[in-house]
Amino acid sequence: MFYLSYLRSELLRRKGRTILTMLGLALGVALVIVITSLSHGLDQAQKTALNPLSSIGTDLTVTAQEEGYGGGAFANRMLETNLASLGKAGQHFSYDTFSAGTQPSFAQSQANSVSSISGVAKIATGLTLTVTHQEGKIPKITASFRTGGQQINVSGQTKRPSAADLAKMAACLAKQEKKSSSSTKTTATTGGQSSQSGSLSGQGQDQGGPGMFGGGAAMRKCMPASMKRFQKTITTRRQTLRKQVNTPQTNIKTSTYTIGGVDTSQTDMGLITKTQVSKGRFLSKKNAREALVANSYASSHKLKVGSTLSIKKTTFRVVGLVQAPLGGQSADVYVPLKQLQTLAGQKNQINVVLVRASKSSGVGAVEKKIKSALPSAQVASNKSEADQISGSLVTASNLAKSLGLALSIIVIAMAIMLAALLTLSSVAKRVREIGTLRALGWSRRLVIRQITAESLTQGVIGGVVGVGIGIVAAAVINSFNLSLSASSKVGNSTTTGGFRGAFGATQSAAQTTTSQVALHAPLAGSIILIGFALAILGGLLAGAAGAFRAAQLRPADALRQVE
Amino acid sequence: MSTPLYELRGATRSFQMGNSTIKAVDDINVTIDKEELIALEGPSGSGKTTLLQLLGALDRPTSGQVFFEGRDLASLSDGELAELRLRSFGFIFQQFNLLSTLTALQNVEAGLAPLGVSAGELRERSLAMLAEVGLRDRAFHLPGQMSGGEQQRVAIARALLAEPHVVLADEPTGNLDTKSGADVIALLTDLAARHGTTIIVATHDAGLAARAPRRLTMKDGKLATDSKKTRAAAKKR
Ligand SMILES: Nc1ncnc2c1ncn2[C@@H]1O[C@H](COP(=O)(O)OP(=O)(O)OP(=O)(O)O)[C@@H](O)[C@H]1O
Ligand SMILES: [Mg+2]
Repeated sequence: MFYLSYLRSELLRRKGRTILTMLGLALGVALVIVITSLSHGLDQAQKTALNPLSSIGTDLTVTAQEEGYGGGAFANRMLETNLASLGKAGQHFSYDTFSAGTQPSFAQSQANSVSSISGVAKIATGLTLTVTHQEGKIPKITASFRTGGQQINVSGQTKRPSAADLAKMAACLAKQEKKSSSSTKTTATTGGQSSQSGSLSGQGQDQGGPGMFGGGAAMRKCMPASMKRFQKTITTRRQTLRKQVNTPQTNIKTSTYTIGGVDTSQTDMGLITKTQVSKGRFLSKKNAREALVANSYASSHKLKVGSTLSIKKTTFRVVGLVQAPLGGQSADVYVPLKQLQTLAGQKNQINVVLVRASKSSGVGAVEKKIKSALPSAQVASNKSEADQISGSLVTASNLAKSLGLALSIIVIAMAIMLAALLTLSSVAKRVREIGTLRALGWSRRLVIRQITAESLTQGVIGGVVGVGIGIVAAAVINSFNLSLSASSKVGNSTTTGGFRGAFGATQSAAQTTTSQVALHAPLAGSIILIGFALAILGGLLAGAAGAFRAAQLRPADALRQVE
Repeated sequence: MSTPLYELRGATRSFQMGNSTIKAVDDINVTIDKEELIALEGPSGSGKTTLLQLLGALDRPTSGQVFFEGRDLASLSDGELAELRLRSFGFIFQQFNLLSTLTALQNVEAGLAPLGVSAGELRERSLAMLAEVGLRDRAFHLPGQMSGGEQQRVAIARALLAEPHVVLADEPTGNLDTKSGADVIALLTDLAARHGTTIIVATHDAGLAARAPRRLTMKDGKLATDSKKTRAAAKKR
């Protein structure tokens, strides 16, 4: 076929130009594929991150209102460990303390009042606690202090003694004075290190000087009954305090992590569900000593499926790794609810009720109903959780949202323009050739067909190359394991938590959970097809436009054109 | 009387150049019958190329008419004009105008391809034509690998392949030395005689013009002398 051999010759014998045009198209296609894949990946990552609740089959979470003001009651609680009670000095110890973080716990039975609200399809309960783990050697230097034993003299009176009382007292005292003429006893006020004496002043009572009430025993005897009651010596309770002196801090490690008690009666709804299991399996329904570990926690603590985990001296077997959902209900370690309740000494206590509405459109109504039924409860929805999420993922996806479309359009336009310019310039250089063809008897249609076929071929080859580059580039991006962070603030935003470990070491357990969301560039067949189509379209349009313009010229004018 | 090959009635082609109008071909009236060779002479810029383009339907007159075999070229569609160029006209250019990416054979084939003959026939006829111009062994050479004379011979093969009624040659020897120019002219006239083709050749070559039975001379776009008319006038006297 002559036209085909012409096409082949034309493309092969103008290699430089052909390769340039094809590379231009290929680059455009590759960029389109990579950008679309990336924004696709961002979308996916965003969906996982921004719909933290729906990923665990939940529409709403119900928690108790924080106690105290600003959650200070729990957040700033000081944890003091009596190390001496853990064993002898020099012994290794490991000690776990459970605390409720910002979510106070409540009785499991209260969940029933939520499940009975109309529009609620299903509920699941959970308990999320913060575990403070201390481990190390019990320090040697332990000093004991004995305190207490102080005597405190208290004297007080409410009524001024009447004249008769005073006269009686004077007579009595005179009598006593005669019995033991010079023995005056003063009540000693002694104590361990310091002494305290308090004086309760009655109304209108003058400060009595020793002249008046001096002489202890005699005085006591002669005092009117009403006054006797108020004089007392208080002896403080004796107790022994052990305190560590110059505690070696390096030896003792304090770490905190969050633990979630999972309602194992259901697998599609709860603090964590089957869908989040990325390796291994979900917790069995048997309330066994099994644990699920969040991927991030597993990698930082070198845990695998099959590893064991010791929580408060109880061994749990890791049965699965999970991609924990973002948001308030995420934890590092998950164990069956009953197990956690037992460990933490919080039998039948929970701190979150997860609610699924029967209709997704009814979520708002259900939220209102729960709020009015339980005014002290905090109800959070997917949206309010999503609003708490920030981090590079949100920035990136916001960027992608606003820039993605524009960027794609720019890239596509640039690819097509590049191809068009190259094709147009190559066609412009061929005007005389086109004039010659026309003089030989080639019709306009035939000339346009020939040149368009050349561009189309370039487009197809460029498209194939571009798709190849795009696929490789996407694979490279995936192999980099890029991750974006998404942070979720837990509870209300004014809460800043801090757990003080023992010995004054301050360990702040930030109340923000950050999770890394992997960024993938998933390749969809449609993306590849679109990229390919764009290359062809680019080549085709440019070629056809150039050819059409050249063919429009009178052959005479085309022939006069100098190359 | 049979219809003449060409009949020009007040054929004019003017170009608008800013404010001035250049009449490259100015009111030409002439009848051209089948003849072996017609020479078109005249100084540079006198309108020879423009006239050839009007005759070859590569351009349209701005006024007047050009009849080819009794048909007014202005009345024909683009498709019909293309058909006419394919079947009835053959062009030979001073610059050869070979397609640089195609071999000698492919270049010749390009002159007949739109006719839609089979690939085998196209190749066969093209090779035969190349053999006629003495370049059978150069069939697979690119234009860049051939001398000017050889390239022009390929162009002649291409122009004659479709057995046109007229070959319009614009200074075919202009870029060639005397020897190869003479060879090209010898080949062209020889082939034209054999195929019964009329050759209209624009030339500055006085020797070539002298051999032509009919000589037309142009000056400033007008037809200055026509050897046929001159002879007729001489006979009358
Ligand atoms: N496309 C055009 N635009 C403007 N002027 C033109 C154009 N084509 C030809 N001319 C003018 O028309 C006149 C005739 O040109 P033409 O090429 O026909 O001359 P020619 O006799 O072939 O000359 P030469 O012997 O140098 O080839 C010239 O003055 C030229 O400048
Ligand atoms: Mg000329």
